[in-house]
Amino acid sequence: MPDPSSSPAGTGAATTDLALVAAALAERLHDAGVAATPQRAGRFAAAVAAARPAGREALYWLARVTLVGDRSELATFDRVVAEVLGAPPPSSPGGEPLAPSAPPVALAVPTEGRGPDGDDAGEDDGVDGAERLRAAASVEERLRHTDFDEWTEAERERLRTLVGGLPVVAPSRPGRRHRPARHGHRDDVRATLRRAHRTGGDPVVRARRRRTVRPRRLVLLADVSGSMEAYSRAYLWLLHRAVRGARAEAFVFATRLSRLTVPLREADPDAALAQAAALAPDWSGGTRIGEALRRFNEDHGRRGLARGAVVVVVSDGWERADPTRLGEEMARLARLAHRVVWVNPRAATEGFAPLAGGMAAALPHVDALVSGHSPAAMAELLAVVAADGPGGRGSHRAAP
Amino acid sequence: MRPPGTGTDELAERLPDVEAVSVALDAVDYLSDPGLATALFCAARLRQPLLLEGEPGVGKTEAARALAAVLDTPLVRLQCYEGIDAAEALYEWDYPRQLLGIRLAEARGTELGEGELFGRDYLVERPLLRAIEHPGPRPAVLLVDEVDRADDEFEAFLLELLADAAVTVPELGTIHAVHPPVVVLTSNRTRDLHDALKRRCLYHWIDHPDLARSVAIIRRRVPAAATPLAEQAAATVLRLRGLGLQKPPGVSEAIDWVGVLDALGLVALDAEAADRTLGAVLKYREDLDQARAAGLDALVGEA
Repeated sequence: MPDPSSSPAGTGAATTDLALVAAALAERLHDAGVAATPQRAGRFAAAVAAARPAGREALYWLARVTLVGDRSELATFDRVVAEVLGAPPPSSPGGEPLAPSAPPVALAVPTEGRGPDGDDAGEDDGVDGAERLRAAASVEERLRHTDFDEWTEAERERLRTLVGGLPVVAPSRPGRRHRPARHGHRDDVRATLRRAHRTGGDPVVRARRRRTVRPRRLVLLADVSGSMEAYSRAYLWLLHRAVRGARAEAFVFATRLSRLTVPLREADPDAALAQAAALAPDWSGGTRIGEALRRFNEDHGRRGLARGAVVVVVSDGWERADPTRLGEEMARLARLAHRVVWVNPRAATEGFAPLAGGMAAALPHVDALVSGHSPAAMAELLAVVAADGPGGRGSHRAAP
Repeated sequence: MRPPGTGTDELAERLPDVEAVSVALDAVDYLSDPGLATALFCAARLRQPLLLEGEPGVGKTEAARALAAVLDTPLVRLQCYEGIDAAEALYEWDYPRQLLGIRLAEARGTELGEGELFGRDYLVERPLLRAIEHPGPRPAVLLVDEVDRADDEFEAFLLELLADAAVTVPELGTIHAVHPPVVVLTSNRTRDLHDALKRRCLYHWIDHPDLARSVAIIRRRVPAAATPLAEQAAATVLRLRGLGLQKPPGVSEAIDWVGVLDALGLVALDAEAADRTLGAVLKYREDLDQARAAGLDALVGEA
C-alpha cells in the first residue's frame, strides 16, 4: 500500500504550507487525545492536495476521514477542529449523540506492550511509539484519581500472590479450520489427493482431518459498587488476568457501565489497574445493575460482543432500582450469550438464599451460580468458566 | 512504493474532486452526504483502504456497491464470518477436477505432471484473488464486509495482503496486482479491530441520514411509491429510533417498508397499515410490543 506521507513528491511543490498546517492540526489533535499519527497527517496533506477543498466544510471532512481512526475520537476531533478552523463543524446528518455510556477516552488510549501477539503491529511501531506515549500521557492528565492509588504495598503484594497465580483459561468452541489428524472425523481431500499422486493416482491412504478448537469469547462484568467493595479489588485483578491471559472483554459497573478492556491490556498490573480505576468514575457508588446491563446489551452485547460468549457477572445482586428491569435485561443477555455465569460472593454465607430482589430476578436466566468469595472459590469459578458445560446453552439454567 | 499506473490516472480523471464523486454517486442512485463522498474520494484517489462503520442499515455495503458502479468496475465482495480462512477468502484447488484429471490422463495413457495438476486450470479463485487479479483498465472495488466478525488472525493476514497487493500461491508463485483494488472495509463494531489495521485505514462513521435525506433516499430507491408515503415512513422510522428498541430500524428498513406498503397498494401510512406491516421494520417481538405499546397512532404522526 503506498503511503502518501512517504512521498512528498507526489503532493507537489507548493505544499510546504499545507504540510505545516496538516502537522499543526495533527499535533493539536494529539494533545487532545486523538491518536493522529504523522502517517495520518501525511494522508491528510495528500488528500487536501488531491481534492483542493473549496470551503471549511470540505476541509473538515477531509481532515475527519484521514485523521480520525475511531468513532470515540469524533467528539474530541470536532472540538479541536472548531478551535482551529474557528467555526463549528457541520452538523453530522441525523446527528445522534454518542451513547452517554460510551467511554469517551478509554478507546483512545493507545496501549503499549499488548504481549506476544501485539507484535504484528508492523513496521510503524517504532515511528510512533513516542507519539502514542504522548497521546496517552495527555489523556492521563484528564483522568480522575480514585482511592485505588491508596492501596498499601502489602495489600497489593498479597493479592498478587493470591490471584496472580490463578490460570485463566478461556472456554472453547469448535473452530472453522481443520488440521490433519489420524483419527479425525472428516476426510482431508487435499492430503488424500497429494498421497494419491504418489501412488499413481489411486487414493490408497485416506487422510483425515479434525476441527480445530478455538477459544470462545469471554466477557466479564464486575460490580464495583459500595456493597461489593470488599471484593471488587480482587476481581479487578482477575479481570486483568483474564484480559491478558484469555483475551477477555472486561466491564465494571456501579451506577454506570465502564469498559476496561483497553486499559487492562497493559502488561504491568499496577499501571493497568491504576488506569482502569481512573476510567471508572463510580467506584463504591450505588448499584443499578439493570441499567448497567441494559447499557451493556445495547452498546456492546447486541452488536455481537456477547453473542456466543461466556458471560460472567460478578455481583451480590443488591439492586437499588426496580429488579424487574434487571430480570428483563438478564433475559436479553441470556438469549445473546452462550452461557451466563453469576458470581455472588454472598452465596457462600451460611443459610444464603437468593432473596435479594435483583438476585431473585436474575436467577432464572443464569446458567450457573458460584460463590467466588475466596481464592479457592475463585479457582473453582475459573474451572466452571473453562469447562463450559458440555450440554451447551441453557442446560444449567436454574428453574425459576 | 508502486509507480502510479494508468488505472490511477483514470481514477483521477473520473473523480477530479469530491463534488464529482457526489454527482457520480447520485447518478447511480446513491445519495451521499459530503462526509461519505469525501471518504470515498480519498479511498479511490489516495488508494488507501477505507474503514466504514455505522449502525446496521445505514448503507455501508451500498456505499461500496455505488463506488464500484461509479468507477464502472466489478465489486468483489468478501463476507467475513467467524473462522473464515484463506481457502474461502483467497483461493483453493479444485480437488475433484484434479482427481478426474489424473484419471483421464491415466485412461489416455498419458502422464499428468505436477505443473499441469497445480496449474491455473485447477485453481478456484476466491474474492481476494479475484480482486487482485482484476485486469483493469480500472481497479476493482474490494468490499471486505463485516471484518469485525472474522478472527484477528484473518485480520493480520488481510493486512499483509493489502499492504503488498500480492498473493503467493506456493505451487504457482507470487501474483502481483496490476491494478491494486480500491478497498472498502465495513465493521459493526462487535469488537475492536487491531490497531495496525486501523492505522492503515481511512475512517468514516456513517450516521443515520436526517429526515429530508431519508425521504430522498427512499424516493430514489422505491420510485413507484407515493411521495407522502415515503415522507410518512421516514418520519415514523425516525420516531421508532427514539424508542430505544433492541434493533432500531435504519434507512434500509425504511426502504423495505415503503416497498411493502407500495406493494399492498397503499398511498398513505396510517395506524392500521403500520400494524399490518410493522414486521418489515422491526424484527424483534419485544420491539414490536414496545412500538405497539407506544401507540402506532402517535408513531405514524396521526395523533
